[in-house]
Amino acid sequence: MQLNAHPTGELTEPNARQRFEPRDRESFFAAQARNRRATWRISVLCVLAAALMGIPLALLITPLLYGVALIIADAVNLFSPLSPEFWRQASEVSRFGRVALDWLLQQKAADPQALAIGVAVMLLPGILFSLALWAGVNLMFRRSGTGGAVLALRAREPNPSELKELQLVDVVQEMAIAAGLPAPQVMLIDSPGANAGIIGASPEDARLIVSRRLIEVLSRDELENGVAHLIGSIGNGDLRISMRMTAVFEACGLLMAVMNAPFGPQSRRILWRMLRYSLIRREGDPQGAAAVADLLTRGAGLEVDDIDRFFDPTGKKSRLRSVRNFIFFPIFFTNTAVKLLLWFFSWAVLGPLMGLLWHTRQYLADASAVQLTRDPDGLARALQKLNEEPGEIPGGDWASHLFLVRLSRSGSTFATNTQQRQMLAQAWAASATAASASMPGASSDFAAISRQLPEIMRAAFAGDERAAARLRSLYQSVSAADPEFAAQFPNPDDLIAARKGDLEAMSRLRAARPNPAALAQAGKQKDQAPSSPERPSLVEFHASLKRRLKRLALLGAHIDPVARDRKAGIVILALSLLLGPFALLAILLLLLLIAVMTLASLTFVVIWLAVIHKLFALAGSPSA
Amino acid sequence: MLISPVAIGIIVAALVLIWLIAAFNGLVALRNRVQNAWSQIDVQLKRRHDLIPNLVETVRGYMQHERSVFDAVTEARAQAIVAGSNMPVRTAAESALSGALGKLFAVAENYPQLRAVENFQRLQEELTSTENRIAYSRQCYNDEVMKYNTAQSTFPRNLFVRMLGFSAASMFAGMDADRAEVHVKL
Repeated sequence: MQLNAHPTGELTEPNARQRFEPRDRESFFAAQARNRRATWRISVLCVLAAALMGIPLALLITPLLYGVALIIADAVNLFSPLSPEFWRQASEVSRFGRVALDWLLQQKAADPQALAIGVAVMLLPGILFSLALWAGVNLMFRRSGTGGAVLALRAREPNPSELKELQLVDVVQEMAIAAGLPAPQVMLIDSPGANAGIIGASPEDARLIVSRRLIEVLSRDELENGVAHLIGSIGNGDLRISMRMTAVFEACGLLMAVMNAPFGPQSRRILWRMLRYSLIRREGDPQGAAAVADLLTRGAGLEVDDIDRFFDPTGKKSRLRSVRNFIFFPIFFTNTAVKLLLWFFSWAVLGPLMGLLWHTRQYLADASAVQLTRDPDGLARALQKLNEEPGEIPGGDWASHLFLVRLSRSGSTFATNTQQRQMLAQAWAASATAASASMPGASSDFAAISRQLPEIMRAAFAGDERAAARLRSLYQSVSAADPEFAAQFPNPDDLIAARKGDLEAMSRLRAARPNPAALAQAGKQKDQAPSSPERPSLVEFHASLKRRLKRLALLGAHIDPVARDRKAGIVILALSLLLGPFALLAILLLLLLIAVMTLASLTFVVIWLAVIHKLFALAGSPSA
Repeated sequence: MLISPVAIGIIVAALVLIWLIAAFNGLVALRNRVQNAWSQIDVQLKRRHDLIPNLVETVRGYMQHERSVFDAVTEARAQAIVAGSNMPVRTAAESALSGALGKLFAVAENYPQLRAVENFQRLQEELTSTENRIAYSRQCYNDEVMKYNTAQSTFPRNLFVRMLGFSAASMFAGMDADRAEVHVKL
């Protein structure tokens, strides 16, 4: 155990300021306990925030629920009159509701007991409905297991006849033994990014997803530490937390789908798929779960929905449409209010809180890894190495918090150096003349090159010999000028052969050090689905490397603690002092807007319901 | 309204009983983890014994002149198996085995041909992993023992543990020869 104090030289340091710096090492058990407590505190805050969000949400949903009930009751009443007892009770409920509404909208004083019942009448159905949605989503995905996600990632099982992959399997076994857990199944993905993560619903069906690049980048002891972080994360119960959290976002999506269902086919399709999935559950249908989960998480964003299309003001205008729009306006208004409310809370309140929660979970998993391997240096090295590599995992966006390092997107790291750009431009022009004079673009413009190169690659993949010849000559002239730069790119011949299914070319490509940006450029095609949107949140779900390293240094890693940049700190402080009031004002305005919209939607829906009820009464009275 | 002292007594007794049940179940779970961790060590030692004949078979052809090295390995393995549950003898034999294996791999460094053989590399990886697994299973055992003993000796549980039939478990302390690090080079 690492309880030794710092070298005594520092204790006698006359500088009093040193005392405030962390001086004593922290044992990993203490670090774990501290982060567990932090998780506790933040999850209490999360629950509070969710409850806070629940109040306006319930105010928005409850009238709609009553509306649906009322319309059904009215319709039934039309054909077979309900007992007067039913209507008496309904009016009793509405009376209490009115007490609460008057109190809320007109500040009318009310009898506390009636008010309490009124508030319950106004809030409970909405709260219960939202909770039911959440529980339903939770249950559905807990049962579905992890197959769908594995499919989405295109993971494969490791091949034990290859030494590196055998080593990975061994390391996972070792770490599972150290943690006293059942060893999770390992799955490999052949992606250009170096990263690893866990998926699953419980420690029993947890799976480790490791990119092939990771085991090439890390040495055995670094790999051990990375795997120890993930196994520690499984042992700490992160999978269950993730499940619950994802269910909140998915329940928001489901709510939007339910509200949109009367207005368009897209939401109905989502609901239908989900219903079908939960009723007819086949064992071999993990794809269904993944598809539904994906649709639901997308639904929570501020995207164009069916209802927007339904009320599209730019659409063709006709009297019928405007009458229809007028009739359904309260629903549209409520829908917009709910959407704004969900977006605001997930972006500014719940999202950031969950981001902080995941930071503590990562520190906790780091401390657990140190407990397993007793090698904080190895973990620090592994994290540093992985942070230099692009950690992109296609299809892994939905669970970025369960990965070892942040999932980065392939940016434009494609030849950023001006010298390289010039060289590339020369080679490009040369290859154009070498291959054929009629080929486009003997230009030295870099932007034009990066636009045309993928086109030529596509042509070459499609079997165009001239394009292939051009690529070959480009590759040769680049590697003659700057072999190191050229080594970042895959050999075009291998690429073309791999496209045709040549297994040897594939393994050669994997063995060569691929530049993910270049690969992404090559593979960029229009028909590829866009990666699912990042969960909207003000705070990243990943702790920064600097903070993680600082905590590892406390646990005994021999790395220089990153010196705090005082100048940058002052600039940030000044900026936040300047911009802080504006941001606060904007948030307050948004909150005010949400409050006004909530109240307005309440009024609209109540009036709307009253009118509908009157109409039904009119329709029913002549026959009665 | 006053609640009768009898009712208070019953409530307190019920709370104490619930706490006792929870404490007992928690300790049983910890004890099971300790036992499981202990048996894991055995499993890993057994795994090492199973790998050795294969290793010796692979190496024999290349290292004709190093008979004494792999004889020592086979000898130590045989002793460890014979010792069975005789703990002191077995611990000595196992640590002798660790030493012999370390020596074998050190000597194998001098045989480039051998190191190039894929089967040897795989065996080396397997044995490295097994050595690690043995170390990690011991570490896990010690961690579990620490948790178990801490749970027993903290107040107020320490007043009841004897009554409930728990006793402190002892940590695994390696022999001196075992503490000397075994270098298995990758």
